Amino acid sequence: MSSGWSWWVIGLIVFNLGVTFLLFLWAPHAKVPVLPDGTTGHVWAHGVLREGMHRLPGWWIVASAAMYLFAFGYLVLYPGFGKHEGMLEWTSGKALASATAANAGKLEPVMKRLAAMSVEAVAADAQAQRLGERLFVDNCAACHGRDGRGNPLLGIPDLTDGDWLYGDTGENITASIRDGRMGMMPPWNALGEEVVKNLTQYVLGLSGQPHDATAAAAGKTAFESTCGACHGLEGKGNSQLGAPNLSDDVWLYGGTPAAIETSIRDGRQGHMPAWTPRLSDDDIHVLAGYVLHLSTRGHVATR
Amino acid sequence: MAYRHFEFIEKHAAVLGILIAIMVSLGGLAELLPTFVEARGVKATAGVKPYDPLRLAGRDVYVREGCYLCHSQMIRTLRFETQRYGAFSTAEESVYDRPFQWGSKRTGPDLARVGGKYSDDWQRLHLVDPRAVVPESNMPAYPWLATARIDGADLTARMRVLRRLGDPYDDADIAGAAAAVDGKTELDALVAYLQGLGIANVPQATAVSMSGDTQ
Repeated sequence: MSSGWSWWVIGLIVFNLGVTFLLFLWAPHAKVPVLPDGTTGHVWAHGVLREGMHRLPGWWIVASAAMYLFAFGYLVLYPGFGKHEGMLEWTSGKALASATAANAGKLEPVMKRLAAMSVEAVAADAQAQRLGERLFVDNCAACHGRDGRGNPLLGIPDLTDGDWLYGDTGENITASIRDGRMGMMPPWNALGEEVVKNLTQYVLGLSGQPHDATAAAAGKTAFESTCGACHGLEGKGNSQLGAPNLSDDVWLYGGTPAAIETSIRDGRQGHMPAWTPRLSDDDIHVLAGYVLHLSTRGHVATR
Repeated sequence: MAYRHFEFIEKHAAVLGILIAIMVSLGGLAELLPTFVEARGVKATAGVKPYDPLRLAGRDVYVREGCYLCHSQMIRTLRFETQRYGAFSTAEESVYDRPFQWGSKRTGPDLARVGGKYSDDWQRLHLVDPRAVVPESNMPAYPWLATARIDGADLTARMRVLRRLGDPYDDADIAGAAAAVDGKTELDALVAYLQGLGIANVPQATAVSMSGDTQ
């Protein structure tokens, strides 16, 4: 704030407090002409209503005085009187920093204890589960759902089913949260519509679903030469690449013939954002434990 | 001052009104006016750039659809806000927002640093059909954004106006605007805008800078 504006603010404060304070001093002693009947002589409705005259009540005088004391005290202690910073040197930034530090101090023993534990151990810790749930609802639930069951419309994985695209260890889960994941299945429309349809039947067969055996047999070669590179010759997937296991009847984008056909023809892109630096390493550690906990306790009811 | 002066004020409505107006406006003159005037001096910091054409178009869609009625873009200096949304917002971050989108109503969450929090696909589906991704959501759906096209000529004119107001667009920026949004839908633009919010302009050492000029 420039000194010009500082004086502007000071002037307004002095004017405002000065005018009202002078009124305050004067009002209790003001000489108001009173008629013999005790009214001021102001009448309404042809004299039916008349204005009485009473001294200012004591509580009003005391309350007003208290407000002046508060105003002077506030301007001495807190910023407000132009550039004067106040004796407490309060700023919103400092208040935030101290509130944040106080909260971190409260959490420190817990976070220290959890940081020394493996993700697997964090998953079984009741206190960590409570912390993890808050973090999950705040950050992950928008995509994975409050109950963690994912969303086939966007290929967002179900976290409660014990099936893992990128591996089931604590480090795998931590890496997924920390760095994010880019799932990329290329489109195979160039293979031709018939091959796509045959591949669909073959993929249905891999997980033991009803399928057209002739078409599936026709799709086998194409699967092994094209899809096998990522999904494996037996379609069991590859957690290094995040290529899903096709033989387990767990489906990212839905397991209907139409959905599988679309996946093959048009490809799929799944994107999990990286949570560094939005979340701290400690938070990510707790979250990884919570996600592992979700998969071991199975489906939970939505609240 | 004597009683007759007050009697005069009380009995003349115009005088009473003017004097009340003066006293009532003192607070605004002290708290608002200096900030209004000094706002001209607020300069963009290193990470804060004028909107590229697609994001600018998205920002206009954001304003047109009234997103600010439910979403603020101002993280306050309160621990439970910075913990949830990230570093608190500063005036420097809004220099290219005309008008700013700070907002004062949060039916939905604050969006000041929402960029990158969710994937592009999530943002698209969420705008077209919010309950397809968040069953508990009470946000309205905006399906028409997916088909409405951005008008390049209109956007070019808007950029010229912003340049006149002082945004540092050069001739190449304005000449390339129509091409940059060619074939893009309003949904593309809005998602680009949202995904850019708060990206790369998180203030450095905000706690320290707050102890200086700003109160």
